[in-house]
Amino acid sequence: MAAELRLMIPTNESVEPDDRQLVRTIRSGDPDAFEQLVRRKTSKVYSLCYRIIGNAEDAKDISQLVFIKLWENLEKYDPAYAFDTWLYRIVTNVAIDFMRNKQSRENAVNSNLRLVKTSTDAEQGVVVQRKEIENVFNTVSDVLSPKQKTIFVMSEMDDLRSSEIAKILGCRESTVRNHLFNARKLMQQQLKKRFPEYSRLWEERS
Amino acid sequence: MMSCQSFRANAESREPEVLEHLRKCDACLEYAVSVDPDHFFRAIGGEELEPPGGVDAFTADVMAQVRLRQAEGSVARRFLIAPRRLAAAAVIVVAIGAGALVYERNDQNVGPTLSRSAPAESRRHVITATKPIVETYQSQGATIVEIPSQGSNDASVVMIFDDSLPADL
Repeated sequence: MAAELRLMIPTNESVEPDDRQLVRTIRSGDPDAFEQLVRRKTSKVYSLCYRIIGNAEDAKDISQLVFIKLWENLEKYDPAYAFDTWLYRIVTNVAIDFMRNKQSRENAVNSNLRLVKTSTDAEQGVVVQRKEIENVFNTVSDVLSPKQKTIFVMSEMDDLRSSEIAKILGCRESTVRNHLFNARKLMQQQLKKRFPEYSRLWEERS
Repeated sequence: MMSCQSFRANAESREPEVLEHLRKCDACLEYAVSVDPDHFFRAIGGEELEPPGGVDAFTADVMAQVRLRQAEGSVARRFLIAPRRLAAAAVIVVAIGAGALVYERNDQNVGPTLSRSAPAESRRHVITATKPIVETYQSQGATIVEIPSQGSNDASVVMIFDDSLPADL
């Protein structure tokens, strides 16, 4: 009896369609399904865009562009592949194009304060430190190429493996590792120049 | 979330639980960075951010853009249908024109010196004009018959019967 009841009462999992099901519904002409997909992926897309671009307003515009491109190209999505891999590919392409076309790096340095978490007094010291790390990152990542920065963000902040990044960017895993190695090296050089107090962390370890 | 003790024991790892602790526990941040300096930048990742104005406003903006593009797309499709009709009409016109040309060419092959619109009388005149014109005639065995004309405007007809004349004269 209990088993029968369980079958009749839908769980959260059965109510929420997965990404592939949503795409199928959108393709059949349901605009509400697309709205649901946008709502579901907004934070993921925006976070990646923000970390790559370093500017809240630009990241918002780029995220919108990503979803419009997604809607325009939804027919091209092959459900044999993970939806997020395909979505990340659109995000990285749009973000890299944006970075190449518009030199918005100067804006990136000072525009991140809006997104830093507010804190209680007890946390003040450490929150300032996290805020400082964000500022340091936006400053030293200035020397990276758009592709290097994208790979660094996906690896270190989005915790994606090299193999996943290679799939997203359509390149070899060794290329990803090479970009990561160069990105770290360039950023350490910049830390040494601009933030010697932090560069000591790497020096002490080596 | 894992305890600080477990975190410090596995601080060099990149396991999701370790990274989650790194990003949430301020007390362990400095220790983690001292163990692995690459944790320095990893500490600012992980958290999912919201666009300025919130997810609802963002979604509404995206859907408005999508609807706008949908509307533009349907207008473009309508424009796309009209050229197709125009192209079909053009094909018909070209076909008719080509047919007329072929017909005219075939007609010209029948009589190359004549225009199709030339009246039948002039055609007859031109054909007879190719024959030699006889102004004087002398023959011993010929019979000449002149048909009397009705008036000064009427053409005078003269008939010559002669066995020695060529057949096509």
